[in-house]
Amino acid sequence: MRNIKNNWLVQVIGFVLVLIMTGLTAQGLSRIMPPYYLQIGFFIGINVIMALGLNLIAGATGQLSLGHSAFMSIGAYASAIATVTLHLPFPVGILLGGLAACLFGIVIGFPTLRLSGDYLAIATLGFAEIVRVIFTNMQITGGAIGFLGIKNLTTFPVIMILTVAMIAVMMWLENSRNGRAMLAVREDEIAAESVGVNITWYKIQAFAIGSFCAGVGGALFAHTTTFIQPTDFGFMKSIEFLNMVVLGGLGSIPGTIIGSVVLTTAPEFLRFMANYRMLVYGLLLIIMMIFRPHGLLGGFNFRQAISRALFLGRRIRQGAKV
Amino acid sequence: MKDLMQQLINGLALGSIYALIALGYTMVYGIISLINFAYGEIYMFGAFTGLILAATYKTNVVVALLGGMMLSLVLGVLIERVAYKPLRRSSRLSALISTIGVSIFLSTLMVLLKGPNTQGFPKLFENKVYAIGNFQITIYQIVIIGVAAFLMLALHLFVTYTRTGRAMRATAQDQDAAGLMGVNIDRIIATTFAIGSSLAGAAGVLAGIYFNAVQPYMGTMAGLKAFAAAVLGGIGSIPGAMLGGLMIGLLEVLSVTVNLSEYKDAFAFGILILVLLVKPSGIMGQKINKKV
Amino acid sequence: MNILELQNVTISFGGLTAVDKLDIQVKSGEILSLIGPNGAGKSTVFNLITGLYKPSDGAILFQSEALTGSPPYRIAKKGITRTFQSIRLFSELSVLHNVLIGTHVLGQAGLFHSIIRSPLMHSEEKELREKAMAALDFLGLADKEHEKAKNLSYGEQRRLEIARALVSNPKILLLDEPAAGMNPFEKTVLMDIIRKIRDTGVTIFLVEHDMTLVMGISERIVVLDYGKKIAEGSPVKIRQNDSVIEAYLGSGQFRSRIRRKETGAC
Repeated sequence: MRNIKNNWLVQVIGFVLVLIMTGLTAQGLSRIMPPYYLQIGFFIGINVIMALGLNLIAGATGQLSLGHSAFMSIGAYASAIATVTLHLPFPVGILLGGLAACLFGIVIGFPTLRLSGDYLAIATLGFAEIVRVIFTNMQITGGAIGFLGIKNLTTFPVIMILTVAMIAVMMWLENSRNGRAMLAVREDEIAAESVGVNITWYKIQAFAIGSFCAGVGGALFAHTTTFIQPTDFGFMKSIEFLNMVVLGGLGSIPGTIIGSVVLTTAPEFLRFMANYRMLVYGLLLIIMMIFRPHGLLGGFNFRQAISRALFLGRRIRQGAKV
Repeated sequence: MKDLMQQLINGLALGSIYALIALGYTMVYGIISLINFAYGEIYMFGAFTGLILAATYKTNVVVALLGGMMLSLVLGVLIERVAYKPLRRSSRLSALISTIGVSIFLSTLMVLLKGPNTQGFPKLFENKVYAIGNFQITIYQIVIIGVAAFLMLALHLFVTYTRTGRAMRATAQDQDAAGLMGVNIDRIIATTFAIGSSLAGAAGVLAGIYFNAVQPYMGTMAGLKAFAAAVLGGIGSIPGAMLGGLMIGLLEVLSVTVNLSEYKDAFAFGILILVLLVKPSGIMGQKINKKV
Repeated sequence: MNILELQNVTISFGGLTAVDKLDIQVKSGEILSLIGPNGAGKSTVFNLITGLYKPSDGAILFQSEALTGSPPYRIAKKGITRTFQSIRLFSELSVLHNVLIGTHVLGQAGLFHSIIRSPLMHSEEKELREKAMAALDFLGLADKEHEKAKNLSYGEQRRLEIARALVSNPKILLLDEPAAGMNPFEKTVLMDIIRKIRDTGVTIFLVEHDMTLVMGISERIVVLDYGKKIAEGSPVKIRQNDSVIEAYLGSGQFRSRIRRKETGAC
């Protein structure tokens, strides 16, 4: 036990060091990178956080949500109100954004998670539309005109540290009793219950954590663009995140990261096509689904591949023929 | 009271449009459990076809309507071929995303063809106002309600009494069993897409005439609401889709009456969520027993 | 001592009474079989015990404590686990993960511990993994631990389901047609396994069609027909019981035995 405790301390310190290194590297990069690329870097980070949240809900726990952008908008507006209206510091704003979204995730989750499959999808879609309409008509959010005057507080190190932390947390979660219970809910609800998994509890948990991620992503987004309006968080935005998760391979964390990076940079790469950009994007989605329906990584097991590669390396060193 | 009756008529006209689109959602869902997100865009294409026929070729309203339906039909079959059929054996999520791809493709295509701005619809016939008792009804409303009622009746008769209609119902119940009985599943699915799409095309032309506004993104919101209508009525049920469409239309008009027009989109989805919570299968949908 | 008791349990689906005023006592440490023709309501009995269905009437007692109304996950936690007639594995997950999910009720580490990767979580995880490996070993699946569950053979999948149900140290194990689809050799192995499980102190309650298996290992048999108990006793007694023979083979006289629709009862 003592040994484990010491190990744990070493791990915690190691993790903090990794975060500090990430922050420093990002700091350095932000000095030398051209603003255009840096901007893309910002959005990659935000989208990875957003997509990881959705991956937990849709990929790991199997609950199709078409309203992820609503939670993002709740986080964005909550954090903007916190920093602009209430003059709170930015980290508090991020936290409040995350918590506000998380709270709504739980409130929405309780009644709607009884629904299954497509019905849940349409309920979350409806919820997202309602949130958008409410934000359009609220005074404090600036209504349809949008929320002006948000300070540009998001920095590259902040985004990168949060992204790395989020990836780590998601990977740890996936490999725990808690995460396995979520996977069980996705695979077979009845079988999961038969071994003692309280399916409602894990669905709510997934919604809460996923929404928290979306809220944090929204807070970072608001303080990057400095101006938000309800149309930023429409139905198509939710679909974009779903695409990121599915493109990489539903339920796979590395897949989600790759999907987010690809889909964030793809419009930039396609920029030379000007007006034809979205046309190609739509086509790519269709082609992608036809030829790689399980995502770019579809069923590719990272951990296994790495250990296999390492094992192979050892065998080669030992002089075995491959 | 007079006001209410008036709003009921307005709601009926709007609801008829939603109901026509909702029918397509419900039919396709009933047969292959797919939410076709490109559906709103088919409706938009129908509207534009009607617009082009009426504005450029100066055709009359019947030709514009039939033209809109025909193009939408072809488009629907094409979408089924290209974006759905290869995915028949994949997960439903892949098929769903593929239809989202089609939706993005089609709306962008229309922006490229006709520009992103809203365009007016040429006057196809004089819009007269009739007073019946205390309330008024316009010719436009009569035409919309009439055409919608006719199409729905035709669909009902088709599904109930023809051989193809029976095959469709069988396929909706059990695809494999229907196949074993000699039903050509591929053809039935294509037919379903075709019928649903032509109804959406008709709805597009009617909406163009009614609102005097057509634009490339008009399909997104109309599609979502029509889908909500289909779920509200009980997805998979044809009378349910009609009922759901009319309800959403009435609700939208009533929210304007009570001075909450800013919230009209929220109302539609709010009611939808409430209904789902009380009766997850929708008003006229059938409960599917969970098998252990 | 009765570990599990069904008292006057009744359930109807629509107009159909799938289980009708059923009384069953499962004695601690025994191997009890529930048999009956197709659609007799055997699986429904299991679904009632595990909380998937709520009885319309009657009570189910586990260690003299009422189970009725508890959700399935609570019932599992109390020490009743099961397998399914139509195998229900977490098919995209590895064999080891399937069994690890089976250990769910033994663990404590929740969300917080998972996220901070606390020492408690580490030591618990180690313990659970050892238990899972032991269960896989017991059922002869240890060498398949990294295989996806869906890639196992039919017999292996059945054994994996047993491993998943067994790993949480249940007090009673409900096996729903464990021998279905197995070849004769696999069946003998299975009989051996079931006996071994019982010898570790787990009570076995099984639904089975395969008469060799049932007659071979059961200590007592309950026979169900049309949701009613028609006989109960030792294998020898059941074999000679007239109403059992009639239920299975018919009375020899023409009598309309229109099978009820199997909605719900499966």
